[in-house]
Amino acid sequence: MKKENVLEIHNLSVSFHRAEGETQAVRDVSLSLRQGEVLALVGESGCGKSVLCKSLIRLLPKGADVKSGSIRMEGKELSQLSEKEMCKLRGEGISMIFQDPLTSLNPTMTIGRQIDETVKLHHPSWKKERRKERVLELLKLVGIEEAGKRYDSYPYQFSGGMRQRCVMAIALACNPKILIADEPTTALDVTIQAEILKQLKEIQQKLGTSILFVTHDLGVVAQIADRVAVMYAGKIVEYGMAEEIFYDARHPYTWGLLHALPYYAKERGGLEIIPGFPPHLTPPPAGDAFAIRDQYALRMDYEQMPPFFAVSETHYAATWLLDERAAEARKLIEERKSRNRSIREEGGNKDKYEEKKEQKEQKKEQEDSP
Amino acid sequence: MKMSYKKRIVIFLVSIFFLSVLVFAMSRLAPGDPLVSYYGERAERMSVEEKERAMNRLGLNEPIIVQYGKWIQNAAQGDFGISFKYKQDVLQVIEGRLVNTLILGGVGFLLTFFFALLLGIWCAFYEDKLLDRIICKVGTITSCIPEFWLSLVLILVFSVNLKLLPGSGAYDIGQSDNLASRMQHLILPLIVVIMSHLWYYAYMIRNKLLEEIRQDYVLLARAKGMSAGKIMFGHCVRNIMPAFISIMAISLPHIVEGTYIVEMVFSYPGIGTLSFESAKYHDYNMLMVLCLITGVIVIFGNITGQAISEHIDPRMKEPVRMEEVTDSDGR
Repeated sequence: MKKENVLEIHNLSVSFHRAEGETQAVRDVSLSLRQGEVLALVGESGCGKSVLCKSLIRLLPKGADVKSGSIRMEGKELSQLSEKEMCKLRGEGISMIFQDPLTSLNPTMTIGRQIDETVKLHHPSWKKERRKERVLELLKLVGIEEAGKRYDSYPYQFSGGMRQRCVMAIALACNPKILIADEPTTALDVTIQAEILKQLKEIQQKLGTSILFVTHDLGVVAQIADRVAVMYAGKIVEYGMAEEIFYDARHPYTWGLLHALPYYAKERGGLEIIPGFPPHLTPPPAGDAFAIRDQYALRMDYEQMPPFFAVSETHYAATWLLDERAAEARKLIEERKSRNRSIREEGGNKDKYEEKKEQKEQKKEQEDSP
Repeated sequence: MKMSYKKRIVIFLVSIFFLSVLVFAMSRLAPGDPLVSYYGERAERMSVEEKERAMNRLGLNEPIIVQYGKWIQNAAQGDFGISFKYKQDVLQVIEGRLVNTLILGGVGFLLTFFFALLLGIWCAFYEDKLLDRIICKVGTITSCIPEFWLSLVLILVFSVNLKLLPGSGAYDIGQSDNLASRMQHLILPLIVVIMSHLWYYAYMIRNKLLEEIRQDYVLLARAKGMSAGKIMFGHCVRNIMPAFISIMAISLPHIVEGTYIVEMVFSYPGIGTLSFESAKYHDYNMLMVLCLITGVIVIFGNITGQAISEHIDPRMKEPVRMEEVTDSDGR
């Protein structure tokens, strides 16, 4: 059963115009968000996740603008809306939770009033008592106890977790169809993080909201997401159902991310890292932006941007490794992976130097192969 | 921490006391002959004995501490002595002039901050747009124009050449109760007072607002669906109000001071000219009272400023009892 798309992004590009030139923060991104699902957007810092989110509700920072592409919400093209219509849509249609709950509330205004503001904005005809009722209802919904007492509290009287709950209450005030959560748990400690995620998931199931969940934490993704899109250097490199990404990833960058999970650290005696740094996007490199950090990169990856290859009906990845001409390279990688796995299972630790040498040799082979 | 009103009053009185000691000592220790202000040129022709007798009569020969003790005793009864120069009770001389200065300074003060707030909000709202840039440049230039020069140019243009507005005085002769006449005389000095201070404060407000606009909560408010204008007034301006009021309170004396130069150029009969003269000619009693008036304004401004900002910004008060704020996350 395929659910309806509530949000469709087609070939969206967002650029920052700076003195040094144009920085392409989001490059040709196409995504869709389905009714009632949680789509996780994963990627390292600076890969354009937040810019992508902000472009959806048209709140890009100064100097950035949408270069091309379209964003449609239920068939309505958002770029054609006037600022006034956009204001109405924010909060009612799409709302957003931000990363840092400590700074995203106005410190001089009571919690109740800040939530009330949203309700008032979108339901101007409601009387004061009715609005207050709604605010208390929202506070309860996000799990704040003794809502009546908290109504007149100021943000500084709340802990980080409670503030994030209040921000959630604000975002949910008008039952939005889409909720964009931009790293909502990054600034919180792990126990609170789990609680908030649970709450979010519960609310999502109760209200049927579609959530675009931005994070760099795959652990969080595993807890909450139905589908996952992996972003690197302003581009989506792989997307698919959560299980497909976790158990059958195809893009080398996704492999890198998965291997960097602390879970693998135990058997390896240390965290595995992806070597190098994300590329500068002024201008972006030709071909696959990940190629320079990719131990499995093919020569093709340096030259031409890989298109999306379908792995399954729901799973797509943009890497030349999936091209039929790269079958040999794929085989080599598979062999090496299984060899590594068996070595690991045997518990033998290969000399690091030798391993690196081997990698280099293999890389040479791969580059020659297609 | 919130201070009680009692504590504030005590601080106020203590500060005034120290100020009076300081001014009293400094004026008396400064070199110069106080008799000149009393006897004018005759003082130079007086013999040593005559001078001695005059000093004795004015009570200036006693040790400073004794003099101060006497002064404060009289002052407590409302007697601030006589002005050496005007040979009149000090308060009588100041009375009429103080009203003039307070009108000029007060109206100038309110208008300066009113326009500064408007201009600051306007510029912050249209940050980096053409108009903002023009206003910033023009504002910087106008704030650099010296007051006396601007006053002279305005007098030249509006009263000498165009003959539209009077160039000196506070009212037409014998018209001290005529509001229209007073207003006419106020226009030019007011323009100078406002022009010379406006941009300084407008720029401060603009920068404060720009800082505020970049806060995360503004983004959240935008994501709620609030329009930029509503956020500006409902959140940002509201949040800079404590800072704005503190600036207002602290700059109260600044603007009152600013009227001194304007008063001199426009021959506006206020206390500005008076203070200058009293310091120059060692008119001790006059100087004391004028300094105390200014001091009262400064200290009063600071204390009320603090009280008001505490009232507006809840974070400056002591938090509510701690039991009430333990949160549901258990921290």
